[in-house]
Parts: sequence; structure tokens; C-alpha cells
Amino acid sequence: MKHRRNDIENHKKKYHGLQRVIMGVILRSKWFSMLLLFCMMGSVVFTLIPPLVLERVVDGLTVGASVTLQLAFLYFGTLVISGLLDAVKEMLITIFGQKITHGLRSEMCHKLSHIHASYFIQQESGKTTSRMVNDVDTVEQLFTQGIIGMGVDVCKVLSIIVVIFTKSRGLGVLLLITAPILFLITRIFQRKMLTAQMKNRVAIGKVTKFIPETIANIRTIHCLVKEKYMEDRYDESIQESYHAVNRANIYDSLYSPIVMLIRAVLVGTLMVLSVMNGQAQQFFGMSVGTAVAIIAYVGKVFAPIESIGMEIQNIQSAVAGVKRINELLEEREKPQMADEVQKERWIDENEELRKRVQMPTEAKRDNKWKEQMQRTTQTDEPRTSGVAFSQVTFSYDGEQTILEELSLSIALGEHVTLAGRTGAGKSTIFRLLLGLYAPQKGSIYVMGRRAHEIPDQEKRKIFGYVEQSFHMIAGTVADQISLHDDAITMEQIQAAAKLVGLHQQILQLPEGYQSQCKRELFSQGQFQLLSIARAVVADPQIMLLDEITANLDSVTEQKVLEALERAASGRTVISISHRLYERENNRMIMIES
Amino acid sequence: MTMHRQKADSMETMEIKRPDQLLSYFRRELVPLFIVFLTGMIYNIGLTATPFFEGQLVQRLYDIIKGEKTIGTMFFLATLYIVIILFVQGARALKRYYVRKFANNTSRNMRHMLYNQLVHSSKKELNEDTVGTLMTKAVADVDACVEGMRKFTTEVFDTGVALVSYLVMLFLYDWRLALLSSMFTLVAYVIAEKMKTVVYRYHTAYKKSAENLEDATMDRVENAITYRVFGQENARDLEYEKSLTDYEKKAVMANIWENTLRPIYYILSMTGVVSIIYFGAGNVMGTGWTTWDIAAFTTFLSCFTKMAQKSSRAAKLFNAVQKAQVSWKRIKPLMKAYVKVDEQTEKVFGQRITLTMDHITFSYEPGKTIIRDLSFHAEPGEVIGITGEVACGKSTLGKLFLGEEAYQGNILIGDRELRTFSDYERNQYISYMGHQPELMSDTLQENIAMGGKESVTSYLQAVCLEQEVDEMPEGSLTHMGSSGTRFSGGQQARVALARTLYHKRRVLVLDDPFSAVDQKTEQRIMAHLRQMNQDSILLLISHRVTLFPTFEQIIWMEKGRCYVGTHQDLIRDHENYAKIFHAQQAGGDLDEA
Repeated sequence: MKHRRNDIENHKKKYHGLQRVIMGVILRSKWFSMLLLFCMMGSVVFTLIPPLVLERVVDGLTVGASVTLQLAFLYFGTLVISGLLDAVKEMLITIFGQKITHGLRSEMCHKLSHIHASYFIQQESGKTTSRMVNDVDTVEQLFTQGIIGMGVDVCKVLSIIVVIFTKSRGLGVLLLITAPILFLITRIFQRKMLTAQMKNRVAIGKVTKFIPETIANIRTIHCLVKEKYMEDRYDESIQESYHAVNRANIYDSLYSPIVMLIRAVLVGTLMVLSVMNGQAQQFFGMSVGTAVAIIAYVGKVFAPIESIGMEIQNIQSAVAGVKRINELLEEREKPQMADEVQKERWIDENEELRKRVQMPTEAKRDNKWKEQMQRTTQTDEPRTSGVAFSQVTFSYDGEQTILEELSLSIALGEHVTLAGRTGAGKSTIFRLLLGLYAPQKGSIYVMGRRAHEIPDQEKRKIFGYVEQSFHMIAGTVADQISLHDDAITMEQIQAAAKLVGLHQQILQLPEGYQSQCKRELFSQGQFQLLSIARAVVADPQIMLLDEITANLDSVTEQKVLEALERAASGRTVISISHRLYERENNRMIMIES
Repeated sequence: MTMHRQKADSMETMEIKRPDQLLSYFRRELVPLFIVFLTGMIYNIGLTATPFFEGQLVQRLYDIIKGEKTIGTMFFLATLYIVIILFVQGARALKRYYVRKFANNTSRNMRHMLYNQLVHSSKKELNEDTVGTLMTKAVADVDACVEGMRKFTTEVFDTGVALVSYLVMLFLYDWRLALLSSMFTLVAYVIAEKMKTVVYRYHTAYKKSAENLEDATMDRVENAITYRVFGQENARDLEYEKSLTDYEKKAVMANIWENTLRPIYYILSMTGVVSIIYFGAGNVMGTGWTTWDIAAFTTFLSCFTKMAQKSSRAAKLFNAVQKAQVSWKRIKPLMKAYVKVDEQTEKVFGQRITLTMDHITFSYEPGKTIIRDLSFHAEPGEVIGITGEVACGKSTLGKLFLGEEAYQGNILIGDRELRTFSDYERNQYISYMGHQPELMSDTLQENIAMGGKESVTSYLQAVCLEQEVDEMPEGSLTHMGSSGTRFSGGQQARVALARTLYHKRRVLVLDDPFSAVDQKTEQRIMAHLRQMNQDSILLLISHRVTLFPTFEQIIWMEKGRCYVGTHQDLIRDHENYAKIFHAQQAGGDLDEA
């Protein structure tokens, strides 16, 4: 068991993050990858052929030979094959790119389940979402429009240059001189455009932030008569974006015409040189058919050079995305592994225990073993009570200690209020209880088990957590209460809704409990009630009531209060300085930092 | 920065007549559009110059090889060719720039108008009608709409005019062959038209799936903690995997239909090339419909190839228009006439003024009275404390001063009823500060002054924040983070208070300004408030009453009734007030909630 896990871990270390996902996709679909490679090569070769056929046609015409129907069909045939190969290549690249995005997003989602809770508290959710949506999209582009495309384009350019060399050495040399210049110009333009675009993106970022902020602060803006001020500031940002875009536009408008001009100069020069006498004749001389073919090739070589520049840019911009994705994939994980691994660990530990029992002498030398024994024998008392903190020390960052040597115990059925200033650690106590964090020192027992070792599927039976504010999830009204939990029946959902007094109102919705939940369906206070229903639906033993941040009007405040009282009855209740749930007979626990 | 500010100021006069008509935006940009028209015509007609001159160059080579023309004529022709291309591409560069400038201007104008609407929407509108979310989406729609407008303008020339020029050229050379060969192009075009609905269907399905996936990602990330504490993470991961699989399928299908078909259309429309090579060669040999030279043959062939390429992209024109229409439909209802704050008034602000509440009664819905028959009178310099039990409606009382709700009775500022004030006048008399700090992501200084010129130092002193700010490396220029979240809750509340004081009017309504500061700080701030507001009336809503003995009047709210008196009066007459006051005095500094 352990060995296999080590293997997996080694594999994980060898290829981490993105690399691992991509290697996985390539290895899993070997035939597919080969076919893709074949199509790419075929597409390069078949770009070269049509001009050669054309050369023969024109050369035939100059000497007065008529063109056979076969030759006409040959020309068309090569076009068809080239087109078909392109089509298949495009299709395969699309599929390949999508496989990678799928794999990557799966991996990231899986990571979310294992990531340390602090990540969600520190990181704005928008940023993480953008990593999973936008950054993964750029990685897809990195493949489809970056690496793969660049491979094809480089091959195209090289092979066209080779063919041109065989046709006209002079033009070959001319091209070898022009191509790097063209490439350089391309890069300069693209870089300038990128800088301008980045500036624009920063400005647009400001603009986008400005809108939700305006909405949130609208009252202050009106009260202080700052409408004009806000408009000016907004205009300032869009103006910044305007100038950046305009800059990018100048480069964008110039680039392609310049390339076309270079092409014309090249063709003109070549034609003049081709009719020169003497040495130039040797170097540049060609037949009429070759001239036609070569003009076609020059046209063909410019497009991939242009694309290579773009592909380099795609790759560059994707690098930042790749970095951000890897950052997420390498984030610290939560204190206990997922349930599966945790079970394995339990089995391992038990096995070890059994072994040790058989070999007592060896065990004695092992300190860890001693601790184990103490853990199982010593603290019977806290294990049986409802909640027990014994000498808990905790810090988020290892520097600032939030809780020091905190001991408290709450009996089953007791109602307790945690009081203390902001920052004293009241919310931290909840986070520890819920197993989001593990303490550095001391132990926390909930119903006789270590808090952070309570498996996921039992959590709802133990805790009913009413969060500071309601988190609306995607789904129906019923889903808001059940959280998509299949183990919860419709009867339970309705019972919970009745308890908080929302049942009638939900039934009045067009599709009742199955209505898609939207912000406008409920008021803030009613969402608070839904939050309570969500907490009680699985009939938990301990209610955790966090401070309510919502600004409720007095009528709904009263309703929330009543719902809380009904939800609390018959349960152990721990509340944080709750505006609405302060009962005189509650035991107060002072938390001081 | 200052430059931008000036430019932004120049935008302030910008008003768009009939902003709900798309034509208005085209009309505003007549100059760039005229340039686009002129250069667009030159470029697209000039497009035929490339195949024409290349044909001529090849012909000249043939003639020179045969000894019919001199080398000098080739030089002349090549130079002419390059000059013409320079002219055509120059026109193209101008066209590209002005089309982009047009788009950039329009995007700026639309955003400007949208923001104007937003900043003048009331809190109620933003809350209830989900105008907020609509607005946020509208900004993204502006981009899509403008992009569509730009593409439409571009494609009208680049597809429409270009196709016509190529066709005219072909018909001039050999109308029978033109007819015969372009038949296939027509067939390809018709098939592409027919397939468009299929492509569109797959594309819509893909977009929908992408939207679902983004929603699912956001849901998974935003509610990660909720899912974790309720033990639902693994179930969510499985659900997410379903969205991923769906997205992969839809993305692959949409891309295949969209990209794979293009080479196929190209092949189809290129079928005509067989007839061109066969019959065209006949023309050159003198056995066809007309007599051609080599130049005619190559020009015809390359014109045809370019036309086939263009027509396989003709569908773009339609797509661009359709996308723009969809976006515009969403923005249109939000585009209303430009709003300006009505600053016309005959009132003189800034004089000392009294406040009288005369039999004020208020309820949100009939039958549930929250404030009943409240009367009091306040002189400048007075502080009036407002408190009551949880959910008594004390915040509601404060909100009456915002003019958001209709009340019975009279609120008199001096001798004028508040209802008769314009928004602007009301905001000149009353400062209101609510629960939420409502901060912007800007510097501390800007958050307080909001464009004001006066120094913020004395206000930082007033709210006891000066020392903390001095300790920050950047002092009052410290950036507060998005919505001020880089500061602690207590700091945010004090910044908000400083902002209110900075823009202080004759009546100040402060809703719970001290909830996040300790009692000593509260005392010091209160002393400063007293000192600064000797000419103003201060209404202080608070659940903390320890400072109330120092206030001139207290309003005690209990079960919908309001009682006005001095602290002594209320202690004597109202048992519950006395109870709260004594409990809080005993609780001392630690009592927070």
C-alpha cells in the first residue's frame, strides 16, 4: 500500500502541474498524436506542390504545348489533398487542445478539494476562477495556436526556402536576407502592440472594477454629491484605455501594409534581376513558368512568417498563465488528506499499532508510539463531551499567535456565546472546529473525535453552520438548502424551510422548490433564513452561528431571530457575538488575544 | 496623469443625442467613416493591381526572353508596380487606422453614457431591478457590439467591394470563363449559407456550455468554504466533471463545424480552377473563346484564387452583424439621455439651521409600523443619541433622511419640509453615514477627500487614525485595496467617518460609527466630533449607550414606540433603557456587541 503511494508521489514530483497533465494526455492517446503529426507533415508537403504544377503549365504554354485535362486535374487534386489535410489537422488540433483543457480543469478542481482553507480566505475568488477559466484557455491556445502552429509554420518556411533555392539561387539568397528582416519587423511591431495592449488591459481592469464599486458605494456617492467626481474618474480610466488602444491601432494598421509592400519590392527586384545580363543571369535567370511558381511561393512564405511572430506572442502570454496555473496546483494542501488517503492512513496506523504490540521492546524506544498510547488512553473526558479545546495554540502565519493555550469545554445541549473584540479569534475558533485548520499545539475534540479528522460525509450530521452571509450556490431553491446533497430528501428540505418560515413563500414561486434560485427571488433577510435552513436540514447536533453581517430591516430581523431560536432548540449552540441571538441565559466565553 | 485629467475634462460636455439608436454613434463619427469609405474603395479596387501587375511582369519576362522588349522596360514596370502597391497599401493602412479609431471612439462614448446612467441610479434601483448586474454585463456587451460595428464596417469593403472588383476583373478578361469558373464559387457560397444555421446552432450550444462551465467554476470557487464545511466537496467535483465533459464535446463540435468546413469550402470554390487551366491555356494557344497572353492567364488565375479565398470568409460579414445586434439589444434599454445633477437652487447652504421632526410615522408595508409618532426639535450644536433594542428600527429612522422612503408627518430643515428638497438640496444639508464603509480602491487620502483640495490630516486626527497612518510607509497615500479591504474593519469604519466629516453638512446622521472601535477610542472620537460640530446637529444611532449621558437628547425606541428625553429622563422612565445602560457600563471595554 505504502509503496504504491510512494510511486504515485514520485511520479507527481517528476512531472508537476501542467506538465503532468499534458504528458498524461499524450501518453493516453498515442495513435491520435501520431495521426496529428502525420497530418501536420502532410500539410507542409502539399503546400509546396501546387506551384510546381503551375510552373509546368506555364512553361508548356511558353513553348506552345497545349495543356492536358490531366494536368488541370493534377493541379486541382493537389489543392484538394492539401485542403483535406488542413481540415483534418485543424480537427485533430482542436480535439487535442480540448483534451488538455479538460484534463487541466479536472486537475485544478480536484486540487480545490485538497487545498488548504487559508487559500480561499486569502485569494479573491475571482482570481481563482480566472485561473481556471481564462488561464486554461490561454494554455489551450498555447498548444493550438502556439507550439503546434509554430512547428508547422517553421517547417513551411524552411521547406519553401529550400524549394526556392532549387529554383533560383538568387531569390533564395534574397529571401534569406529578407526573411530575418521581416521577422524582426514583425517582432518589433508585435512587442509594441503588446505593451500598448497591456496598458489597455490595466486600464480596462480599473474600469471593470469601478462598476461594482460604484454600485456598492452608490449611497455615499449620492450623499456626498460625487456623481461628477466619479464620472470624471471613470472617464479618466476609459481615456487611458482609449489612448492605449489607439497606440496599438497605429501599429496594427501599419504592420500588414508594410509586409505587403516588402513583398512587392521583393517581387519587383527579382523580376528586374531576372532579366539582367551577365553574371546576374546565372544567378537570377529563370523560365516564365518558374517566375509564376516563385511569385506564388513568395506569397506563401510571408503568411507563415507573420504567424510565427503571432505564435511567439501567444506562447509568451501563455507563459504567465502557465505560471499561475502551476502556482495553484502547487498550493499548500489541507492538514488532513482526502477521505481516501485518510482511511489508508488509519489502516496503516492500525497495522503499525498491531505490529508494535507484537514487538513491545522496539516500541518502547519509539517516542511516537508513546504519544499514540497517551492519546488513546489519557483524555477520556474531553472525548465524550460536546466540544473540548485543550491548550490550543494557533497561528495563521506562524508569526502572529491568534490563540494561545486556549482551553474550553462545551457540554452537549449547552448554549454558549463567544465574545471578544474583533480579531480576538472568535471566527478562528469556528474554523478550527470545522476542521478548516489544525492547531499547532493542543487538541480539539468534537463529539469525541479530533475536529480536523471528521470525514466529509459526517460533517453535516455534526455541524450546522450559519455563515456570516448567505452564499448562494448555482441551482434551484431546494439546492440552496440541500447543497446538492443526494442524501437529503425533499421532505427534509421542506421541513427545514418550514422551520425557518419560508415554506409558503417558496411554494408561491412559479416552480416552487424547483425554481432556479436568483438574487431577485428573495430579500437579504430571506436569504439569511435560507442559510439557517441549510444548516439545520441534516439535523446536526451542534449549531454554529456566525455574526450576521447583512443589514436587515427590523421586520425581517425579527423573523431571523425567531427562526434561529427554533433552530437552536434541543441542540448545542455556539454563537459569535450575535446581534440577533443574545439570550440572557447563554453562557458567555470571553476570547482575549 | 494631469494630461489625462484634462482630456477627461474635455469629455464632460460630451452628450450623445438619442443614445438608444445605433445610428447616433455612426453619425457622431462621420469624419473617420468618410476617410474609411474613401481609402476602403481605393484599397479594395486596388487589390486587383497585384494580380494584374504580376501577370504583366511575367509577360514582360517572356517578351524579354523572346527578345521583343528591352531590359529597361522591365525596370520601369517593376517600379510602377511597387509605386502602385505603395499607394494601395498606404490607403489600406489609413483605412485600418480609421476603422479602429471609429471603434475606439464609439466604445468610449458608449461606456461614458452607460456609466452616467449607472452613477445616477438610485440605491433602490440598483438593489431591486438587478440594474447592477445588467450594467456590469453591459460593459462587456459594449466591447462585443463595437467589435461587431467595426467588423461590419471593415467587411463591407474588404468582402463586398473586394469580391465585386475581382469579379469585374475576371469578366473583363473572359466573361464565359469567368461565368464557368465562378459557378463553383457560387455553389460553395450557397452551401456555406445553408450550413450557417448548423454552424450557428453548434456555436450557440458551445457558448452556452462555456457559460455553464464558467458559472460552475465560479460556484465551485466562490462557495468552496461552504461546500467544505458541509462536506460536499467530492460531490461537487463529480458535478464539475460533468460540465467539463459537456464543454469538451460542445467545443470540439463547434470548432470542427466552424474551422474544418473552411478548407472544404475553399476546395469547392477552387473546383473552377480546372476549367481555368484547361480553357485558359486554350485561350493562350489561340484555340479558346478569346486570345490571351501569359499575363492574362496568370492574372486571371491569381485573381480567381484570391476571390475563392475571400468568398470562403464571406460568412464573417453576416456573423459580425449578428453578434453586434445581439449585444446591442442588451445595451439598448440602458442607453438613456445623459443625466446631470440638477444644481439649481435658491437656498443658501452652510448657515446654522434647526431640525424638527413633527409626528413622524413610518412603515415599509401597511400594518407594520416601525416608527410611530416621533417628534423632537434640535438646535445647532446638539448631539442626539438614538438607540433601542435589536431590530427596533433605529437604522430605518436614519434612512428617512436619505429621501428613499415616504414617511408621514414632517421633517423640517429650518422651516422647510425635507420632501420638497431636490436631491441636490437635500444632500447639501444632510450628511449620512451608513453601516457599510463604502470605500473605493484608491488611496486613503482620495477615499476621504474624493477630489477635495483640503488636507485630510485634521480629519484623520478627528477619527484617531493619524498615528496608525503615520506608521504606514506611504502615509495617507497608502492604497486601501479593493473596496478598502486592505484595512481592518475598524480602520475602514474610521476612514468612512473621516470622509463624512470632510464633507460635513449642517445635519449629520451617523449610523453606528463606533461599532468596530474600542470604548476609549470612541470617547476620544466623540470629543472631537463635539468640537468640530458646534454649528451642526449630530444624530448618532448606536447600540452602545455608554456615552449617551453626555448627549443633549436621547431617542429610545421600543416596540414601535419612540420616546424622547434626556438620559436622566429615560433612565427614570424606561426600565429597558436603564437595563441596557447598566449592563454595558458593567461590561466595560470588552463588551463589543
